[in-house]
Amino acid sequence: MKITGLIIAVLTGALLIYATADFPAWGDPASPASTHVSPRYIEKTIEETAVPNMVTSVLADYRGYDTMFETTVIFSAGVACFLLLRIFRREEPEERLYRHVLTGVTIHVKKGGKLPPSDDFERIDTEWTPHDLIIKTMCRLLIPFIQLFALYVIAHGHHSPGGGFQGGVMLGASVIVLAMSQDLRTAVRRLREKVDALLCATGVFIYAGTGALCLLLGADFLNYRALAPLLNVDPIMARSHGIFIVEIGVGIAVMATMIWIYSNVSSSGKYDEGL
Amino acid sequence: MSQHYPTLLVTVPLLAAFIISAAGWINKRLCFPFAVATLTVAAYSCVGLLFRVLHEGVVHYRLGGWPPPWGIAYYVDQLNGLVLSVISVSALINLIASKRSIEREFPEKIGPFYTLYVLFVTGMLGITVTGDAFNLYVLLEIGSLTGYALIAMGDKDRAPLASLNYLYMGTIGACFYLLGVGYLYIVTGSLNMVDIASILPGLYQSKAVMTAFIICMVGMWIKMAFFPLHGWLPNAYTFAPSASSSLIAPLMTKVMIYVMIRFILTVFTPKFAFSTLAVSDSVVWLAVIAIVMGAIFALAQRDLKKMLTYIIVAEVGYMVGGAWLGNRAGMTGAILHIVNDALMTLCAFLVVGNIVYKVKGYSFEDLKGLFSKMPFTMGAFVIGALSIIGVPPTCGFFSKWYLISGAIQASHYGFVVALLFSSLVNVVLFFRIIEIGYYEPFGDHHGHDHHPEPMAEAPLSMLVPLFIVAAGLVLVGLYTGDIVNHIIQFVIPKGLL
Repeated sequence: MKITGLIIAVLTGALLIYATADFPAWGDPASPASTHVSPRYIEKTIEETAVPNMVTSVLADYRGYDTMFETTVIFSAGVACFLLLRIFRREEPEERLYRHVLTGVTIHVKKGGKLPPSDDFERIDTEWTPHDLIIKTMCRLLIPFIQLFALYVIAHGHHSPGGGFQGGVMLGASVIVLAMSQDLRTAVRRLREKVDALLCATGVFIYAGTGALCLLLGADFLNYRALAPLLNVDPIMARSHGIFIVEIGVGIAVMATMIWIYSNVSSSGKYDEGL
Repeated sequence: MSQHYPTLLVTVPLLAAFIISAAGWINKRLCFPFAVATLTVAAYSCVGLLFRVLHEGVVHYRLGGWPPPWGIAYYVDQLNGLVLSVISVSALINLIASKRSIEREFPEKIGPFYTLYVLFVTGMLGITVTGDAFNLYVLLEIGSLTGYALIAMGDKDRAPLASLNYLYMGTIGACFYLLGVGYLYIVTGSLNMVDIASILPGLYQSKAVMTAFIICMVGMWIKMAFFPLHGWLPNAYTFAPSASSSLIAPLMTKVMIYVMIRFILTVFTPKFAFSTLAVSDSVVWLAVIAIVMGAIFALAQRDLKKMLTYIIVAEVGYMVGGAWLGNRAGMTGAILHIVNDALMTLCAFLVVGNIVYKVKGYSFEDLKGLFSKMPFTMGAFVIGALSIIGVPPTCGFFSKWYLISGAIQASHYGFVVALLFSSLVNVVLFFRIIEIGYYEPFGDHHGHDHHPEPMAEAPLSMLVPLFIVAAGLVLVGLYTGDIVNHIIQFVIPKGLL
């Protein structure tokens, strides 16, 4: 079987390499890929969309419909993880661990046992978790800056590399860092599962909803020009603003999905103890 | 609104999927009515679009207002229109029929299940309606990803592994398709199907174009489970929950066959596919092997659902073979069979769904005495079985007729023999089941004190959709002439005789 696989892989590779013989030369300015559709994207993006970064204008406007579905792919991945992993039946664990905050003493509480309500004890994961002051403090310091930078990346996608996907991943990472440096419960307390799931749907809804709004205003789906009267700008600028609106939607969706997938995978769907 | 049908039929389910997902967190009971309303709108748009295409010819739609090839465009002709209508109507029927079993199998996860269900349908509709080769890939991702999740929810022990297998194979298939589109982009500079088709004729001798065609075809064959690339299909469809298997089995493979036909007819012309490449004869022989092996494997099965999955493998062979015969009758048969096979598979899997709902199993053992227990379900099963065998006036007969006459016209007698062989095997397969269901259990009691088992029929909400599909099998059969003369005839280029 291994030999057959090897032969198939080599043959496929050979076919693919064989075909490159008829490719245009490397970096050829006269190749079809650089002469057929790209010149319009390169030369007219400012004129037609008022976005200096042509990658953004191709991604979110000329081929914005594809990007809407790419965002939907991420959304589907989140929903799929939830559907497959999430376990709702909450079984009480055999043993819970609490740490006395002041002394650092760990207390084991057996199933059914209870601790008197007090602020002196904090629940910790059953796997041994040291009281790590350096990591916790550093992450607490870093998280606001990560989030600030993420917002910059989303907002500045029109001018520099960046946009909703990249910024959304950073926003998601900031919450995941919190979950890793503290524990999953802390992160979930900050962003409840339900809120996260609703944000996930809302993000993609903003994108597709913008498209549908254009439709309702009488233009084609996702033709941001139709938004001009609503935004009180000229149709070209409306395209630029339309791109920004959908980038925000992408950012929210990607952030929420990252967190959703992390929480489900790291706690194998139980939402109590993570990595 | 009718000028927006092409986009509505994709974006309405898309938007609704997000709302259903949110509704799942707020009030679970809202999910089902919302999903039904959505798919009704989609089905209405699809059928409306089909009629518009029949009256006005090809419908164009520009997404984002950009002219093709710079933006993404939809082209809807009779072929898309027909396949779109079949997809949306069968997804709607299956949604209604599966309500009870979904509520029973995943009471806590109704919201995400319906979300993925509607997204899967969005993917299938999007693949079919689009006129852009890359947009097709993105929708294929949505259709596949949601499909994997829907399948993995089945049998606790075996479905996740079967789905993982499918995921590996499906990803390889999608990668091959994407690679092929990439090669096409390098040599043509365009992603728009019509635009590529207008640039390609000057490049037919290019090795890159030839390779692109082959890789695209292999990718689609993996996704449609064309023998010997079918390995993922039987387990994935068998262990999936009934609601998923009766959604995915009729649609996924058929949509990929549509994509293959679209690439042969529109992107690469039939001249390139059938004459320049000179592989059509070998592909038809592969199809012959697919049909024979599918039939033999089906014979070896001891449970109903798995047997049906191998019948799908054989049916894929019918359609691939018919399309690659390279003549008008064969192509007509292949396109007609997309419609017929979708309906037949839906009928058969809905029957399995009903049986699982009542008997909680689908092995041959579980089928004993089913004719007295579930007479209506089994009645519909008989109609479905007759159609799969190919008995007139059910629709299966007519597509098989076109396929066989295409094979005779092309003097490809191997394909004729394979079709007849598989029909005979289907007779054996289905009569074996009818025998088990009708005559067993026997021998336990002597004399006349044998009482038939009491009736325990599936609820009406499952029976009525099943009857609609079974009636559809006969109706489509009776109106085959109209479908061919008014729809399929315009799809096939005049040059193809």
